[in-house]
Amino acid sequence: MGNRGSARALANGNVTQLTDHLFREEAGKLVSILTRIFGIERLQLAEDVVQEALMRALKFWPYYGVPDNPSAWITRTAKNLAIDVIRREALFRDKQDQMTITLQEWRQPESPDDAARFETEIQDARLRLMFACCHPDVPMDSQIALVLKTVCGFGVTEIARSFLVSEAAIAKRLTRARNTIREHHIPFEIPAGAVLEERLEAVLQSIYLLFNEGYKSSTGDALIRSDLCLEAIRLGLQLTDHPSGNHPRSHALLALMLFNAARFPGRLDATGNILQLEAQDRSRWDQSMLFRALHHLSLSAAGDEVTSFHLQAGIAACHCTAQDFASTDWSRILMLYNHLELLAPSPIVSLNRAIALAKVEGPQAGLAVIGTLTDSRLLESYPLSFVVRAELEAEMGDFHLAAKHLRRALELTENASERRLLTQRLERAEKQAICGVSAG
Amino acid sequence: MLLFRGLHWEKNLSPEEIQQVMTRWVSWFDKLSEKGILKAGQPLAEEGKIVSGTGGQSVVDGPFAESKEAIAGYFLLEVEDLDQAVEIARQCPALEHGLQVEVRLVSRCCNAGHIAESLMSSLAD
Repeated sequence: MGNRGSARALANGNVTQLTDHLFREEAGKLVSILTRIFGIERLQLAEDVVQEALMRALKFWPYYGVPDNPSAWITRTAKNLAIDVIRREALFRDKQDQMTITLQEWRQPESPDDAARFETEIQDARLRLMFACCHPDVPMDSQIALVLKTVCGFGVTEIARSFLVSEAAIAKRLTRARNTIREHHIPFEIPAGAVLEERLEAVLQSIYLLFNEGYKSSTGDALIRSDLCLEAIRLGLQLTDHPSGNHPRSHALLALMLFNAARFPGRLDATGNILQLEAQDRSRWDQSMLFRALHHLSLSAAGDEVTSFHLQAGIAACHCTAQDFASTDWSRILMLYNHLELLAPSPIVSLNRAIALAKVEGPQAGLAVIGTLTDSRLLESYPLSFVVRAELEAEMGDFHLAAKHLRRALELTENASERRLLTQRLERAEKQAICGVSAG
Repeated sequence: MLLFRGLHWEKNLSPEEIQQVMTRWVSWFDKLSEKGILKAGQPLAEEGKIVSGTGGQSVVDGPFAESKEAIAGYFLLEVEDLDQAVEIARQCPALEHGLQVEVRLVSRCCNAGHIAESLMSSLAD
């Protein structure tokens, strides 16, 4: 993305930077803070005011250039628009003066102290909004959509593209979520005490789902998807930065996301095809992200609770810290999967555990476990389960069976890049089945 | 002169999309400024009146607010000819979002010096 300065800034010899995603980040910040002023029941109004402020930027900057401090310009504009709205709307009659005072006080930070205080306020407002959006009364599929729209500043089109549903469907989810918040009188606050535990779980789950949505490479627009993952990481960082969200569990989730995102740069080859873990060039993984992941993993070890996030982060850490595929600590991974299977049983977890088992005890053991899982209908429609079976059968030397599983996996896979990978492996298995050579 | 026609073309853009248009527009703007081509530019407010009739007895609110044809702003360019201005207008990053750019020549007012010059040169022949 090009960052260019305005003509005026050029004349002064300093170049104004339009940082990546500035507008999106500003939108998230301002919606949170305006919601604190207007009240959560008027969330839509806060969103509209912020949208209008951004549109003002698009009215003026094209002719005068980007102001020296774009972020301050947008903030000031949003604040003035908010004051206009309060003066105009009869709704606010009872709180008008108080709101106007709040907005007046919310001036451009003049000292570092002011700036820090404003930053804390924003963090606080953001977290309140996250807790409101992820309230158990709000339907699950609406939660993430609303967090993306309000806390992260995404547009309806972008959300629709990333979830592969129509814009109308997303708009409906958003409306439903806003209405639920209004009708159930969901408070705009960070819960305390015992309630915090339970409500934090919902927020973490929502962030986890958001990350997964982005991580799934099966469909959709690659760029938007990595954006979703990075957005989930940002939310995780905001959460762990706040006293109420700074929990070992939050750090575990953040570590798990950072480990997985650190591997993004090596996931595809030069032609955009997916590479298996074994074939990835580990030097391309994002080292600084790995270090941050390790840092949060160590923070997650405080206290004595072990959540499914801890275990998944531990597994990801094993892969990320191995020098190469051959030196992967499979017995440790198997141990973590054993725990995970007890704590959060699912066919997918069992399938992954079978892979680790096969690495430790041989393909036969892995196949035996998968054999006990076949009654799971979920796995019957899950392409990866057939890929794993094919892999293990090939290791056992049964290339006919391996080819059969790969054909089934192909029937279930839509993503072009994954199909190419499977087709190559199928061709290889078919060749081997004819020649009877051992797997290379 | 480039006249940018169309209001509210940015209505349904997300913050990210607004930024993308902005970023591309700013680099276009900078390039024209650096080359000394862009002489002036301003946005026009949406409110306005239309004055008509002898002595301006009829003053009505202009149909600006909702109009697709309304002028949102202008650039004044210094270029060789209309073709060069059209070429520049083609690079406007908001075209794909439905903004229209009208290219018009600004007529030089003819001054006395000009006339004298041409007279002198015709006399010299």
